[in-house]
Amino acid sequence: MALSKDELKKAIEEKALQSPKPQLYIKDFYACDPDAKPRDIKNVANEMVREGRLAFWSSGSTTMYGIPSRIQNEEGA
Amino acid sequence: MAKRETPLLDQLETGPWPSFVTDIKRQAETKPECWDILGILELSYKDRITHWKHGGIVGVFGYGGGIVGRYADVPELFPGVEHFHTIRVAQPASKYYSTANLRQLMALWEKYGSGVTNFHGSTGDIILLGTRTENLEPFFWDLTHDMGQDLGGSGSNLRTPANCIGMSRCEWACYDTEEACHELTLKYQDEIHRPAFPYKFKFKFSGCPNDCVAAIARSDISVIGTWRDNIRIDQAAVKEYVAGNYAPNGGAHSGRDWGKFDIQKEVIELCPTQCMWMEGGELKIDDKECTRCMHCINVMPRALRPGVDTGASVCVGAKAPILDGAQFSTLILPFIKVTKDNDFEELTEFIEKVWDWWMEIGKNRERVGETMQRVGLPTFLSVMGVEPIPQHVKEPRSNPYIFWKEEEVEGGFARDIDEFRAKHKA
Repeated sequence: MALSKDELKKAIEEKALQSPKPQLYIKDFYACDPDAKPRDIKNVANEMVREGRLAFWSSGSTTMYGIPSRIQNEEGA
Repeated sequence: MAKRETPLLDQLETGPWPSFVTDIKRQAETKPECWDILGILELSYKDRITHWKHGGIVGVFGYGGGIVGRYADVPELFPGVEHFHTIRVAQPASKYYSTANLRQLMALWEKYGSGVTNFHGSTGDIILLGTRTENLEPFFWDLTHDMGQDLGGSGSNLRTPANCIGMSRCEWACYDTEEACHELTLKYQDEIHRPAFPYKFKFKFSGCPNDCVAAIARSDISVIGTWRDNIRIDQAAVKEYVAGNYAPNGGAHSGRDWGKFDIQKEVIELCPTQCMWMEGGELKIDDKECTRCMHCINVMPRALRPGVDTGASVCVGAKAPILDGAQFSTLILPFIKVTKDNDFEELTEFIEKVWDWWMEIGKNRERVGETMQRVGLPTFLSVMGVEPIPQHVKEPRSNPYIFWKEEEVEGGFARDIDEFRAKHKA
């Protein structure tokens, strides 16, 4: 990983905040640190879910990630 | 909740087959919210469109799978199904249950949910249909703490691994499917409970090529038991079958008189590679031509048995017909040893290699079989470090064309074209 874990978390959060859609695939976060392995990105994103900074959104067959308040707003709309 | 009028659904009860409508009406006697399941379905039939929203945020803390959020888009009409989430509970290996366990699970589901179940989903999980968000954590606590059971997989996770009954009851099992399934389930807990992949991923373990868990049709990695020596033949038992003293197929299909057993017609002529014949009253098999179809063994189980040098073939890439049609998995590793003696090392190394590649190359919502199809089998084999063998070629007679890499051709691709043309006209 080129970024530290905290830097990567910040980059993921910014990406999730700025994305036009509130839900993102895990692959959408790979660009946050192109040197990181997909597994490292996944582990950091899942840690952010445990911290409440991201939330899972699931259709049942696919799981996506997003900022909790953004997803809730869209679901409430 | 009031009883719903369901004239369209009621028609489904008039056929000769059992109806889920009848089942749900019966359940509504004790769980009135079940009337709203029928009500919302009746409305969907009238409107010709679903009234379930697509997905949502729902789950239990720390898990990114096992709960599938379902919300009605007309909650004011059907408050009983405003939330109607699905819970996937991991099934025990080989689906061995005790009645005590089933009673406990049903009591839990009556307490926290609608009581409606589906045994089992196509992955193998116990499917519990219909509960509210506020019931999820209490249910999960009781399931894990009181019953020692866990949720299964959903979403972009590794789905709950499944296996056949294997060595627990089947003499044909070529490896211990229960041990393999159990060990890999424990090893890959993180992948089961938290999303890791571009899409769903399944592995299934069948002990022999009869493939009783349909691994070859339903799993991204199918581990199917096989042997690499010869089919064991008991010639005395073959004679008993021929004489009509042993019932073929273990006595199955015996409800009708099929006439005298005919080994030529029912076994030898049905062998897909024609590798069997009778000689001097004995059954002969050219084992190097055998494709492990299991037909002869299924018909004469007392005479024929799998060999003793056993392991598994590993195939990759099956899926159900969602995007590009149904697809069976493709043979990649013809034979590996699958054993706890080496912690299933050969298998887990391969699985992790597939995952690392697919996580990087796979597109969103693309099953590994579709990624393989997109890049082509030669590329996939090369990335996996697997030497191509004739069995990897799907249709060698209709498409014998082979692409060579430059390093595989003596002298490379830079050669003297004039010298070549002197011997071969354009």
